[in-house]
Amino acid sequence: MTRLNLVLLVAIVLSALYLVHNQYESRRLFMALDKAQAEARKIELENDRLQVEKRAQATPSRIERLARTQLQMRNATPSITQYVQYGGNAQVDGAGGKP
Amino acid sequence: MSRSVLYTSSPLLASKTPVWRSKFIVAVVALGFLGLAARAAYIQVVANAFFQRQGEVRFARTLELPASRGRILDRNGLILASSVPAPSLWAIPEDVDRDPVKLRELARLIEMPLAELNKKLEDEDKSFVWIKRQVDEPVARKVAELGIKGIYQRKEYKRQYPEGESAAHVVGFTNVEDQGQEGIELAFNKDLGGKPGSRRVIKDRLGRVVEDVGEQIPPMDGRDIELSIDSKVQFFAYQRLREAVIANKAKAGSVVVIDSSTGEVLALANYPSYQPDKRQNLSGEQLRNRALTDTFEPGSTMKPITVGMALEAGRITPQTIIDTTPGRLTITGSTITDTHNYGVLTVEGVIQKSSNVGATKIAQRMSPHEMWDTYSALGFGQKPQISFPGAVSGRVRPYKSWRPIEQATMSYGYGLSASLFQMVRSYTAFAHDGEIIPATILKNDTRASGVKVFSPQTATAVRKMLQMAAGPGGTGMKAQTVGYSVGGKSGTAHKQVGKGYASNKYRSWFTGMAPIDKPRIIVGVMVDEPSAGQYYGGTVAAPVFSEVVQQTLRMMGVQPDLSVKPQVMAQEVEESF
Repeated sequence: MTRLNLVLLVAIVLSALYLVHNQYESRRLFMALDKAQAEARKIELENDRLQVEKRAQATPSRIERLARTQLQMRNATPSITQYVQYGGNAQVDGAGGKP
Repeated sequence: MSRSVLYTSSPLLASKTPVWRSKFIVAVVALGFLGLAARAAYIQVVANAFFQRQGEVRFARTLELPASRGRILDRNGLILASSVPAPSLWAIPEDVDRDPVKLRELARLIEMPLAELNKKLEDEDKSFVWIKRQVDEPVARKVAELGIKGIYQRKEYKRQYPEGESAAHVVGFTNVEDQGQEGIELAFNKDLGGKPGSRRVIKDRLGRVVEDVGEQIPPMDGRDIELSIDSKVQFFAYQRLREAVIANKAKAGSVVVIDSSTGEVLALANYPSYQPDKRQNLSGEQLRNRALTDTFEPGSTMKPITVGMALEAGRITPQTIIDTTPGRLTITGSTITDTHNYGVLTVEGVIQKSSNVGATKIAQRMSPHEMWDTYSALGFGQKPQISFPGAVSGRVRPYKSWRPIEQATMSYGYGLSASLFQMVRSYTAFAHDGEIIPATILKNDTRASGVKVFSPQTATAVRKMLQMAAGPGGTGMKAQTVGYSVGGKSGTAHKQVGKGYASNKYRSWFTGMAPIDKPRIIVGVMVDEPSAGQYYGGTVAAPVFSEVVQQTLRMMGVQPDLSVKPQVMAQEVEESF
């Protein structure tokens, strides 16, 4: 009887220690998860910010200015545009062809 | 000296202890236990909730989960407005570490004169002072690196508008609290806004979150709003309008481009405009979305509508002869005049030459009731069904109160008022086979169906007249553009000043469509008070129309329906060598 009690005592102490350890571990992992999530959100926001910045670098006004001043480009008009029909039975040399 | 007594022989042992004493001790100890048990029961059963709460207050926290505001996109998914983190800097003046080197560096980073910064930190009685709200993230990071004691950051978001002033009136802006104030930002504030969520957590001694407790309410991010605007068309329209307004020394101008098949607004621009993210010293002039909020007498751009309704009622045909000699007509004491005596014209000629007398004579074949019905069906005198703040209804008086002279002047666009937007939308009736279609600022790719106002034959006939008006011998020749057939009507309206009309103040209009056989777009241009010599709609507004049509159709990938003169190409090629 006494021996059984002793065994049970040891078992319960071990179990209690294990519980404490588990609780500690779970909190530690949770903290890590939380930190990672915060980081993810921060990166997401950074992504948004960079998207806007990228867009700001590609606004029509900027493109037009650079095209005119740096690349000496000018507006396309129908008189210097060749219109190509696609679909139907358009014949394209070389590339494509019938399957 | 000492008189020690052995314990075993202590006389006290021999004395008889009264029984009540031991009983008393037992009772006291029992009472103690009873007290403990009662207290335990009280804490755990009776007042459990209170103690639970008190415990939680000491380690549990509710964190707000911010929802990000939705973006505003154009029809191709390009960003017109988006929120980016922009921390605000604040300080507790008393605590600020006054290291002159660091403060100078801070002032440089936030682009604020050092004197101003010092002034903000001067008042030591204050426990809170904003240093600068919504600075850019990289700047905020550098400020944090400086590590000045007593200066803190608060997480905030700010809207960025990459398109700048060209789309300012459409997109609008938000205030510092992220609430929409103008344009789409205001109209769709609820959808864009989203709902912040919250979570309850347990924090440890160091303030780190260690556990979630209870229910989490996830944040609902704001919805992205996809507009019908094409940012390239928008930019181009704005740019051309601005050039025209400046070149003609005008006060202001507006341009509206509508897709005539879907009713989508491809561009809506006004000048003067503003930078939505730099709004210091903003004036009402810049802020006004004139195309929607200002109504004017549309002048001659109304004439095609007059002709359309008479054609529809069968009172005239395109070839009906209208005698406009001698270029003047007197109705109940008031005289209507043309700029020249055009003599005998067909109905087509009336539109082409823009004869006021001709339009009046056509209107006289209609009853006021019929005219009013058509005006209403075309949306005049009603608020446009468009989700936009501040759209106005314009004014058409009830037909019962029209005097004959008023019926006459309305036929050529005086005595009633409309916004440029209403005017452009009414022309969808000609472009969309006689149906007036609802205009939308949101993306919608399906062909719109509207209310029938004219028959397809009438619409085709009026389109032909519009083409003549923009062709050789018409008032709007400058509306022509390379490669595409256009049709449209110019208008030059005297501005109303006080009770009468100013003789030297005009408003130039041009409203038209292209390609004329199967219209894809309707473009309206309005320039307010051009004062550099030219003031006719055909010379001031029509060139803007021409360029906007050219670029818009090209961007939409519409193939030219006119053969292009090759010498244009040859000349241009030579030039570039």
